[in-house]
Amino acid sequence: MRKWISLFAVAGLATTVAAGCGNGNDNGNAPEGSPSASSSAPGTAAASASAAPSKSTGKAVELTFWGDWSGEGQKQFQTMVDAFNKSQDRIRVKYVLQQDMITKFLTAATSGGSPDILFWDRWRTSLYAPKKVLHPVDDFLAKDGLSKDDFYGEALKELTYDGKLYGLPLTVDARALFYNKKLLADAGVSAPPTTWQELEDAAVKTTKWDGNKLQVAGFSLGDNGLFNMYLQQAGGTMLTEDGKTNFNGDQGKAVLAYWDRLMNQDKVYKIGFEKGLGESTDAFATGKLAMTYTGPWMLTTYKKYGKDLDFGVVPPPAGPNGDKGSVMGGFGLVIPEGSKHQQEAWEFVKWWTANKDNALLWAKTSLNIPGFKPAIEDPFFKDDPFWQPFLETLEFAKIRPQHPGYSVMETDALIPNLELFQQKKQNADDTLKKAQQQGDKMLQDNASVK
Amino acid sequence: MASYGKLTRHQSRTAYLFITPTMLLFLVFTVVPVVMASYLSFTNYDVLSRMKWVGLENYRRLADDSLYWTTFKNVAYYTIVFVPLNILLSLGLALLLNYRRPGVRLFRTFSYMPTLTSAVAAATVWVWLLHPEYGLVNTLLGYAGVTGPAWLAQTETAMMSIILVTLWQSIGSNMIIYIAGLQGVPDYLYESAKLDGATAIDRFRYITWPQLRPTTFLVSTMSIIGALQLFDQAFVLTQGGPGNVTKTPVYLIYQQGFNQLQMGYASAQAFVLAVAILIFSMINMRMNKSEEPVV
Repeated sequence: MRKWISLFAVAGLATTVAAGCGNGNDNGNAPEGSPSASSSAPGTAAASASAAPSKSTGKAVELTFWGDWSGEGQKQFQTMVDAFNKSQDRIRVKYVLQQDMITKFLTAATSGGSPDILFWDRWRTSLYAPKKVLHPVDDFLAKDGLSKDDFYGEALKELTYDGKLYGLPLTVDARALFYNKKLLADAGVSAPPTTWQELEDAAVKTTKWDGNKLQVAGFSLGDNGLFNMYLQQAGGTMLTEDGKTNFNGDQGKAVLAYWDRLMNQDKVYKIGFEKGLGESTDAFATGKLAMTYTGPWMLTTYKKYGKDLDFGVVPPPAGPNGDKGSVMGGFGLVIPEGSKHQQEAWEFVKWWTANKDNALLWAKTSLNIPGFKPAIEDPFFKDDPFWQPFLETLEFAKIRPQHPGYSVMETDALIPNLELFQQKKQNADDTLKKAQQQGDKMLQDNASVK
Repeated sequence: MASYGKLTRHQSRTAYLFITPTMLLFLVFTVVPVVMASYLSFTNYDVLSRMKWVGLENYRRLADDSLYWTTFKNVAYYTIVFVPLNILLSLGLALLLNYRRPGVRLFRTFSYMPTLTSAVAAATVWVWLLHPEYGLVNTLLGYAGVTGPAWLAQTETAMMSIILVTLWQSIGSNMIIYIAGLQGVPDYLYESAKLDGATAIDRFRYITWPQLRPTTFLVSTMSIIGALQLFDQAFVLTQGGPGNVTKTPVYLIYQQGFNQLQMGYASAQAFVLAVAILIFSMINMRMNKSEEPVV
């Protein structure tokens, strides 16, 4: 009865919302019609907590692997899946592309039809692990004698909830400073900046105005979501240990004062400058932006420009007291509680993420930094001038706070107030105070997940 | 008499037979989900692990949710500007294109074209057109010596930009409805009015406008509902920014339900939105029903 009600209810809300969402799918954010379509035989849900390893009956075990990467990403996944299937004959993995993966998983997790392996945006762990839909992998890890030290600690932390580990990291990323070598050299800046002060000086020198028109922006201030990163550089943290906002203090003020200087006194940027510029007209790629923070995912794009874009990458400049900071993100592989072949799924996860050769094959295929540290020792990463700064950054990069309401607090309380500050609609003190008040409430409202 | 009753019974049986598929679908996909959603709005349902009755807890939290009321203010402002402009422009366009002249069909097609484009694709193009430095709009303004604003990024102009883009996209279909309405106005009314010496303005004021009342009711109701459910264009154009001025209730409902797994609370939010739509539609009905059309 309960299941029946749930399915219809989800369908109901989805139809209500979908009416307004229309074609929002392009943003990967809207539901694809009614998700209840994937309901199947009842009684197959969850429950198999102690999945006994199936005996080898001679027939290969079929596993389903869900991911939401299409196009190039799908080909990269397929390369790995094929390589795994070729490496042994007991397990057959099939990649299934789910454009709207999380919504599909919501219904699949409780109504049967759950996949065996899930491609997982790691920050979701703190929201989903308490719901008991993911299977802990600690026992597998211990049995196979894998060392946690071989993985990026922060990435493992992001996959951990309440002392239990729920998957292994597949990729790690962090933002670093991209700079246009030619623009910096023309402006007489000899070396890329390593501190806030040097960054400001370089930005001032590279900025070019033509009357009211900004021709070259010295440094991008377009992404307020990077506040977390600046706050770390100023020596602060976003949340306190007990899950309240922690940015309304001297460090937060230092960040806003720095932004205000860059934006309003030095005028190295203009609001909306990069908005709506797609890949072909990317401000950095076309020489309209001298320096910007972005991640390793942009390397391929920028390298395509060849000698038209001579650029370099350095770790993020340190703050006034020498503090370094960057935010680590990335993906992992998790095993849903609803999978009927968790032992086999684990073998696939282990093969991919905890084996030097395979992790490296994945890294070279997809151009991502793998979460498995021994793979990074390879010259492909160590000796490359573009990868090396990211490896350096990852040494001090921290994950986002593990609070289920964190992303809501950031997008609905912090960033809107920062936008008002940037447009001089409110001063720094009010900005931080309002962001704190609204943010604390959102954290509290979204805290209970059990 | 007996045969008459038999015929009626037969006819009504056939009628029921014909509407059964539609009514079944309506029941399964609209009535049942709405009832379920109303039940869920009193629970802490999270899709995955729990569905406990929490009474009015969700609605109490809603009353205290300042962001939700901000989004309501945003769409209310949007509705108040968008709906009258929508009626004015589509009726104006329909009046212009209601004549039988060579080339008129071409213009009708052109005016209808934006409606055919996908909302998201069109919005993406508009993001480009409205770019502060390289966009067409500000480049044209630049020729006139005006430095245009960062349309989508500034608090002053963000909502206005969304209104203009959505107007551009919706007046085409409403124009078609109005043209159909205009062609339904009987010619003899105009003829006799002309004989009595009524001017063009008088004819519009006393014949066209009252005759179009049912059409206006349809157009205004549909645009009110659409306006209060604003989501995709706003999301593509501004992502709810700057400073929350373009966030809409549907955005929050989606976020709470599917991203935060608080489906119970999201259901409560959706219900409040549904009630708001109902109220706006009723007000609209009153305003349109106040005078009966003359024939």
